[in-house]
Amino acid sequence: MKEQYQARMVRIHFGEGDKLQGKPLHEAIVAKCMELGMAGATVYRGIEGYGASTRIHHSSHWTFSKDAPIMLTVIDREEEIEKLIPHLDVMVEEGLIAMSRVEVIRYSRTSANAPAQA
Amino acid sequence: MLSAGKAMKFSIYLSEGSKHHGVPTYSSILDFLFYRGVSGATVLKGIAGFGADHHMHAASIVEISDNLPLKIEFIESREKVNELLGKLEELAGTGMIEVQETTLAKPAKISKPKAPVLPAHLKMEGKAKMMRIYIGEADRWKDKPLYNALVEAMRANDIAGVTVYRGILGYGAHRRMHSDKTLHLSHDCSIMLSAVDTEEKLRLFLPLVDQMVEEGLVVLSDVDIIKYSYRALDVDMPESPSGSASV
Repeated sequence: MKEQYQARMVRIHFGEGDKLQGKPLHEAIVAKCMELGMAGATVYRGIEGYGASTRIHHSSHWTFSKDAPIMLTVIDREEEIEKLIPHLDVMVEEGLIAMSRVEVIRYSRTSANAPAQA
Repeated sequence: MLSAGKAMKFSIYLSEGSKHHGVPTYSSILDFLFYRGVSGATVLKGIAGFGADHHMHAASIVEISDNLPLKIEFIESREKVNELLGKLEELAGTGMIEVQETTLAKPAKISKPKAPVLPAHLKMEGKAKMMRIYIGEADRWKDKPLYNALVEAMRANDIAGVTVYRGILGYGAHRRMHSDKTLHLSHDCSIMLSAVDTEEKLRLFLPLVDQMVEEGLVVLSDVDIIKYSYRALDVDMPESPSGSASV
Protein backbone atom coordinates (compact mmCIF):
# COMPACT_ATOMS: atom_id res chain seq x y z
CA MET A 1 0.00 0.00 0.00
CA LYS A 2 0.97 3.59 -0.53
CA GLU A 3 0.68 6.61 1.75
CA GLN A 4 1.63 10.18 0.97
CA TYR A 5 2.19 12.94 3.53
CA GLN A 6 4.26 15.93 4.60
CA ALA A 7 7.05 15.15 7.05
CA ARG A 8 10.30 16.37 8.57
CA MET A 9 13.77 15.07 7.93
CA VAL A 10 16.40 15.48 10.63
CA ARG A 11 20.06 14.98 9.84
CA ILE A 12 22.55 14.84 12.67
CA HIS A 13 26.24 15.19 11.85
CA PHE A 14 29.01 14.18 14.24
CA GLY A 15 32.09 11.95 14.44
CA GLU A 16 32.29 8.20 14.60
CA GLY A 17 34.49 8.49 17.66
CA ASP A 18 31.84 10.35 19.69
CA LYS A 19 30.59 8.36 22.64
CA LEU A 20 27.72 8.52 25.09
CA GLN A 21 28.25 6.60 28.32
CA GLY A 22 30.90 4.47 26.68
CA LYS A 23 28.70 3.52 23.74
CA PRO A 24 29.08 4.93 20.22
CA LEU A 25 26.82 7.97 19.95
CA HIS A 26 25.21 6.82 16.71
CA GLU A 27 24.15 3.53 18.29
CA ALA A 28 22.76 5.37 21.30
CA ILE A 29 20.71 7.73 19.11
CA VAL A 30 19.34 4.88 16.96
CA ALA A 31 18.34 3.03 20.16
CA LYS A 32 16.66 6.18 21.46
CA CYS A 33 14.76 6.61 18.18
CA MET A 34 13.53 3.06 18.41
CA GLU A 35 12.49 3.56 22.02
CA LEU A 36 10.55 6.69 21.10
CA GLY A 37 8.85 4.86 18.25
CA MET A 38 10.31 6.91 15.39
CA ALA A 39 9.44 5.50 11.98
CA GLY A 40 13.06 4.70 11.19
CA ALA A 41 16.64 5.86 11.46
CA THR A 42 19.69 5.27 9.30
CA VAL A 43 23.36 5.95 9.95
CA TYR A 44 25.78 6.78 7.14
CA ARG A 45 29.55 6.94 7.36
CA GLY A 46 31.31 9.58 5.30
CA ILE A 47 34.71 8.90 3.83
CA GLU A 48 36.19 12.32 4.54
CA GLY A 49 35.16 15.63 6.00
CA TYR A 50 35.66 18.24 8.64
CA GLY A 51 33.41 20.01 11.06
CA ALA A 52 33.26 22.86 13.54
CA SER A 53 36.52 21.75 15.12
CA THR A 54 38.12 21.87 11.64
CA ARG A 55 39.80 18.59 12.43
CA ILE A 56 39.86 16.43 9.30
CA HIS A 57 37.94 13.22 9.79
CA HIS A 58 38.71 10.32 7.59
CA SER A 59 38.66 6.59 7.89
CA SER A 60 41.60 4.88 6.34
CA HIS A 61 42.44 1.22 6.20
CA TRP A 62 45.99 2.03 7.10
CA THR A 63 45.39 3.88 10.30
CA PHE A 64 42.18 2.12 11.36
CA SER A 65 41.04 5.55 12.38
CA LYS A 66 37.62 5.42 13.91
CA ASP A 67 36.73 9.04 13.52
CA ALA A 68 34.98 9.22 10.18
CA PRO A 69 32.13 11.70 9.80
CA ILE A 70 28.76 10.20 10.68
CA MET A 71 25.37 11.34 9.42
CA LEU A 72 22.24 10.02 11.05
CA THR A 73 18.92 10.56 9.29
CA VAL A 74 15.45 10.32 10.80
CA ILE A 75 12.29 10.97 8.78
CA ASP A 76 8.89 11.17 10.45
CA ARG A 77 5.83 13.36 10.90
CA GLU A 78 6.47 16.73 12.51
CA GLU A 79 4.85 15.83 15.85
CA GLU A 80 7.05 12.73 16.17
CA ILE A 81 10.21 14.66 15.35
CA GLU A 82 9.25 17.25 18.02
CA LYS A 83 9.45 14.44 20.58
CA LEU A 84 12.97 13.52 19.49
CA ILE A 85 14.55 16.98 19.53
CA PRO A 86 14.81 17.45 23.36
CA HIS A 87 16.63 14.11 23.59
CA LEU A 88 19.05 15.12 20.85
CA ASP A 89 19.77 18.35 22.72
CA VAL A 90 20.99 16.27 25.65
CA MET A 91 22.76 13.53 23.71
CA VAL A 92 24.64 15.47 21.03
CA GLU A 93 27.34 17.47 22.75
CA GLU A 94 29.23 18.52 19.67
CA GLY A 95 27.64 18.29 16.26
CA LEU A 96 25.17 19.73 13.84
CA ILE A 97 21.47 19.06 13.48
CA ALA A 98 19.76 20.08 10.24
CA MET A 99 16.03 19.84 9.64
CA SER A 100 14.03 20.13 6.47
CA ARG A 101 10.45 19.80 5.35
CA VAL A 102 9.92 16.90 2.99
CA GLU A 103 7.18 15.23 1.06
CA VAL A 104 7.02 11.51 1.75
CA ILE A 105 5.66 8.58 -0.22
CA ARG A 106 5.70 5.42 1.81
CA TYR A 107 5.28 1.93 0.38
CA SER A 108 4.55 -0.97 2.69
CA ARG A 109 3.60 -4.58 2.25
CA THR A 110 1.30 -4.72 5.28
CA SER A 111 -1.93 -2.72 5.45
CA ALA A 112 -2.61 -3.49 9.13
CA ASN A 113 -2.98 -0.56 11.57
CA ALA A 114 -2.41 1.96 8.83
CA PRO A 115 -3.09 5.59 9.77
CA ALA A 116 -6.42 6.99 8.58
CA GLN A 117 -4.67 9.62 6.49
CA ALA A 118 -4.12 8.28 2.99
CA MET B 1 43.35 34.56 -24.63
CA LEU B 2 46.48 35.68 -26.44
CA SER B 3 46.26 37.63 -29.67
CA ALA B 4 48.84 37.98 -32.42
CA GLY B 5 51.56 40.60 -31.87
CA LYS B 6 54.07 41.40 -29.14
CA ALA B 7 54.29 38.94 -26.28
CA MET B 8 56.78 37.59 -23.78
CA LYS B 9 58.36 34.17 -23.79
CA PHE B 10 59.11 32.92 -20.33
CA SER B 11 61.55 30.07 -19.69
CA ILE B 12 62.43 28.45 -16.40
CA TYR B 13 65.40 26.08 -16.17
CA LEU B 14 65.26 23.43 -13.50
CA SER B 15 66.71 20.13 -12.55
CA GLU B 16 64.35 17.20 -12.78
CA GLY B 17 65.02 16.11 -9.22
CA SER B 18 64.24 19.46 -7.61
CA LYS B 19 61.34 19.51 -5.20
CA HIS B 20 59.06 22.17 -3.84
CA HIS B 21 57.27 21.15 -0.62
CA GLY B 22 57.83 17.51 -1.46
CA VAL B 23 56.41 17.56 -5.01
CA PRO B 24 58.48 17.96 -8.18
CA THR B 25 59.06 21.66 -8.80
CA TYR B 26 57.98 21.47 -12.41
CA SER B 27 54.59 20.12 -11.42
CA SER B 28 54.00 22.84 -8.81
CA ILE B 29 54.94 25.45 -11.40
CA LEU B 30 52.68 23.88 -14.02
CA ASP B 31 49.76 23.78 -11.57
CA PHE B 32 50.37 27.39 -10.63
CA LEU B 33 50.37 28.46 -14.29
CA PHE B 34 47.23 26.46 -14.97
CA TYR B 35 45.24 27.87 -12.03
CA ARG B 36 46.38 31.41 -12.85
CA GLY B 37 44.95 31.11 -16.34
CA VAL B 38 48.12 31.07 -18.43
CA SER B 39 47.10 30.19 -21.98
CA GLY B 40 49.50 27.27 -22.29
CA ALA B 41 52.79 25.90 -20.96
CA THR B 42 55.17 23.11 -21.92
CA VAL B 43 57.72 21.18 -19.90
CA LEU B 44 60.69 20.05 -21.96
CA LYS B 45 63.12 17.43 -20.80
CA GLY B 46 66.76 17.80 -21.76
CA ILE B 47 68.88 14.76 -22.49
CA ALA B 48 72.11 16.23 -21.14
CA GLY B 49 73.37 19.46 -19.69
CA PHE B 50 75.09 21.24 -16.83
CA GLY B 51 74.18 24.15 -14.65
CA ALA B 52 75.56 26.53 -12.06
CA ASP B 53 77.11 23.74 -10.01
CA HIS B 54 78.99 22.45 -13.10
CA HIS B 55 77.89 18.88 -12.70
CA MET B 56 77.28 17.12 -15.97
CA HIS B 57 73.81 15.55 -16.03
CA ALA B 58 73.19 12.98 -18.70
CA ALA B 59 70.91 10.04 -19.31
CA SER B 60 72.66 6.82 -19.96
CA ILE B 61 71.64 3.28 -19.40
CA VAL B 62 74.50 2.65 -17.04
CA GLU B 63 73.81 5.55 -14.72
CA ILE B 64 70.18 6.49 -14.58
CA SER B 65 70.09 10.14 -13.74
CA ASP B 66 67.10 11.82 -12.18
CA ASN B 67 68.75 15.21 -12.39
CA LEU B 68 68.27 15.85 -16.07
CA PRO B 69 67.66 19.45 -17.08
CA LEU B 70 64.05 20.56 -17.44
CA LYS B 71 62.75 23.66 -19.12
CA ILE B 72 59.28 25.09 -18.67
CA GLU B 73 58.15 27.45 -21.38
CA PHE B 74 55.12 29.62 -21.81
CA ILE B 75 54.14 32.66 -23.81
CA GLU B 76 52.00 35.38 -22.32
CA SER B 77 51.35 39.11 -22.44
CA ARG B 78 53.82 41.42 -20.65
CA GLU B 79 51.26 42.31 -17.95
CA LYS B 80 50.55 38.69 -17.17
CA VAL B 81 54.25 37.86 -17.00
CA ASN B 82 54.88 40.74 -14.59
CA GLU B 83 51.99 39.57 -12.47
CA LEU B 84 53.32 36.02 -12.19
CA LEU B 85 57.05 36.73 -11.98
CA GLY B 86 57.34 37.10 -8.21
CA LYS B 87 55.70 33.81 -7.38
CA LEU B 88 57.56 32.00 -10.17
CA GLU B 89 60.90 33.24 -8.83
CA GLU B 90 59.99 31.75 -5.49
CA LEU B 91 58.83 28.45 -7.01
CA ALA B 92 61.89 28.08 -9.25
CA GLY B 93 64.23 28.14 -6.23
CA THR B 94 67.79 27.90 -7.47
CA GLY B 95 66.68 27.55 -11.10
CA MET B 96 67.26 30.15 -13.78
CA ILE B 97 64.51 32.26 -15.32
CA GLU B 98 64.75 33.91 -18.70
CA VAL B 99 62.26 36.30 -20.29
CA GLN B 100 62.49 37.41 -23.88
CA GLU B 101 60.38 39.49 -26.17
CA THR B 102 58.77 37.60 -28.93
CA THR B 103 56.24 38.13 -31.67
CA LEU B 104 53.24 35.93 -31.79
CA ALA B 105 52.48 35.19 -35.44
CA LYS B 106 49.43 33.04 -34.86
CA PRO B 107 47.82 32.38 -31.51
CA ALA B 108 46.56 28.89 -30.76
CA LYS B 109 42.83 28.32 -30.98
CA ILE B 110 40.76 26.35 -28.49
CA SER B 111 40.37 23.11 -30.39
CA LYS B 112 36.80 22.40 -29.42
CA PRO B 113 34.40 25.27 -28.95
CA LYS B 114 31.84 24.73 -26.18
CA ALA B 115 28.93 22.69 -27.51
CA PRO B 116 26.00 25.03 -28.03
CA VAL B 117 23.27 22.36 -27.88
CA LEU B 118 22.88 20.72 -24.51
CA PRO B 119 20.34 18.16 -23.38
CA ALA B 120 17.66 19.75 -21.19
CA HIS B 121 19.03 18.49 -17.89
CA LEU B 122 22.46 19.93 -18.55
CA LYS B 123 21.17 23.48 -18.15
CA MET B 124 19.71 23.09 -14.71
CA GLU B 125 20.05 25.81 -12.18
CA GLY B 126 18.02 27.37 -9.40
CA LYS B 127 15.05 25.60 -7.89
CA ALA B 128 14.96 21.85 -8.19
CA LYS B 129 13.92 18.79 -6.22
CA MET B 130 15.93 16.16 -4.48
CA MET B 131 14.44 12.70 -4.42
CA ARG B 132 15.71 10.19 -1.89
CA ILE B 133 14.55 6.58 -2.05
CA TYR B 134 15.06 4.37 1.02
CA ILE B 135 15.06 0.62 0.39
CA GLY B 136 16.88 -2.45 1.68
CA GLU B 137 20.07 -3.81 0.22
CA ALA B 138 18.49 -7.25 -0.24
CA ASP B 139 15.42 -5.95 -2.11
CA ARG B 140 15.27 -7.26 -5.64
CA TRP B 141 13.48 -6.33 -8.78
CA LYS B 142 13.21 -9.09 -11.35
CA ASP B 143 16.68 -10.63 -11.50
CA LYS B 144 18.77 -7.85 -10.00
CA PRO B 145 19.18 -5.77 -6.85
CA LEU B 146 16.46 -3.13 -6.66
CA TYR B 147 18.93 -0.27 -6.19
CA ASN B 148 20.66 -1.36 -9.35
CA ALA B 149 17.40 -1.53 -11.30
CA LEU B 150 16.39 1.92 -10.02
CA VAL B 151 19.68 3.46 -11.14
CA GLU B 152 19.27 1.94 -14.59
CA ALA B 153 15.67 3.12 -14.75
CA MET B 154 16.67 6.67 -13.82
CA ARG B 155 19.41 6.66 -16.37
CA ALA B 156 17.02 5.46 -19.06
CA ASN B 157 14.62 8.25 -18.05
CA ASP B 158 17.30 10.89 -18.37
CA ILE B 159 17.38 11.83 -14.68
CA ALA B 160 20.42 14.07 -14.29
CA GLY B 161 22.28 11.84 -11.84
CA VAL B 162 21.87 9.49 -8.96
CA THR B 163 24.08 8.19 -6.15
CA VAL B 164 23.55 5.11 -4.02
CA TYR B 165 24.52 5.20 -0.33
CA ARG B 166 24.70 2.29 2.07
CA GLY B 167 23.77 2.87 5.70
CA ILE B 168 25.96 1.32 8.38
CA LEU B 169 23.24 0.99 11.00
CA GLY B 170 19.51 1.54 11.09
CA TYR B 171 15.99 0.26 11.33
CA GLY B 172 12.77 0.79 9.44
CA ALA B 173 9.15 -0.16 9.45
CA HIS B 174 9.82 -3.69 10.77
CA ARG B 175 11.77 -2.42 13.82
CA ARG B 176 14.57 -4.81 12.95
CA MET B 177 18.07 -3.46 13.49
CA HIS B 178 20.36 -3.68 10.45
CA SER B 179 24.09 -3.26 10.83
CA ASP B 180 27.22 -3.76 8.76
CA LYS B 181 29.12 -5.29 11.69
CA THR B 182 30.55 -8.73 10.91
CA LEU B 183 28.87 -10.56 13.76
CA HIS B 184 25.50 -8.94 13.34
CA LEU B 185 22.44 -11.01 12.47
CA SER B 186 21.13 -8.98 9.56
CA HIS B 187 23.36 -7.65 6.84
CA ASP B 188 20.44 -6.23 4.91
CA CYS B 189 21.65 -2.66 5.28
CA SER B 190 19.63 0.38 4.44
CA ILE B 191 20.20 1.74 0.94
CA MET B 192 19.50 5.33 0.00
CA LEU B 193 19.41 6.61 -3.56
CA SER B 194 19.67 10.34 -3.98
CA ALA B 195 18.82 12.11 -7.23
CA VAL B 196 18.47 15.78 -8.10
CA ASP B 197 16.47 17.03 -11.08
CA THR B 198 13.54 19.28 -11.96
CA GLU B 199 10.25 18.61 -10.22
CA GLU B 200 8.51 17.63 -13.49
CA LYS B 201 11.11 15.04 -14.40
CA LEU B 202 11.07 13.47 -10.96
CA ARG B 203 7.26 13.43 -10.82
CA LEU B 204 7.17 11.72 -14.21
CA PHE B 205 9.48 9.09 -12.80
CA LEU B 206 7.34 8.41 -9.71
CA PRO B 207 4.86 5.98 -11.38
CA LEU B 208 7.84 3.79 -12.19
CA VAL B 209 8.95 3.91 -8.56
CA ASP B 210 5.40 2.86 -7.66
CA GLN B 211 5.81 -0.25 -9.75
CA MET B 212 9.32 -1.13 -8.69
CA VAL B 213 9.38 -0.37 -4.96
CA GLU B 214 7.21 -2.74 -2.99
CA GLU B 215 8.35 -1.54 0.39
CA GLY B 216 10.27 1.62 1.10
CA LEU B 217 10.16 5.35 1.45
CA VAL B 218 10.42 8.09 -1.15
CA VAL B 219 11.23 11.57 0.10
CA LEU B 220 11.07 14.74 -1.94
CA SER B 221 12.55 18.04 -0.83
CA ASP B 222 13.29 21.44 -2.33
CA VAL B 223 16.87 22.22 -3.26
CA ASP B 224 18.70 25.07 -4.94
CA ILE B 225 21.18 24.05 -7.58
CA ILE B 226 24.23 26.24 -7.27
CA LYS B 227 26.38 24.66 -9.93
CA TYR B 228 25.91 21.87 -12.40
CA SER B 229 28.64 21.45 -14.93
CA TYR B 230 29.96 18.58 -16.89
CA ARG B 231 32.76 17.73 -19.24
CA ALA B 232 31.70 16.96 -22.78
CA LEU B 233 32.54 13.45 -23.86
CA ASP B 234 34.07 12.84 -27.26
CA VAL B 235 31.84 9.89 -28.02
CA ASP B 236 28.16 9.54 -27.26
CA MET B 237 27.56 7.15 -24.41
CA PRO B 238 25.93 3.96 -25.62
CA GLU B 239 22.43 3.35 -24.30
CA SER B 240 22.15 1.13 -21.25
CA PRO B 241 22.04 -2.48 -22.50
CA SER B 242 19.23 -3.45 -20.17
CA GLY B 243 16.12 -1.89 -21.64
CA SER B 244 14.03 -3.86 -19.20
CA ALA B 245 14.53 -1.20 -16.56
CA SER B 246 12.49 1.32 -18.51
CA VAL B 247 9.31 -0.80 -18.65
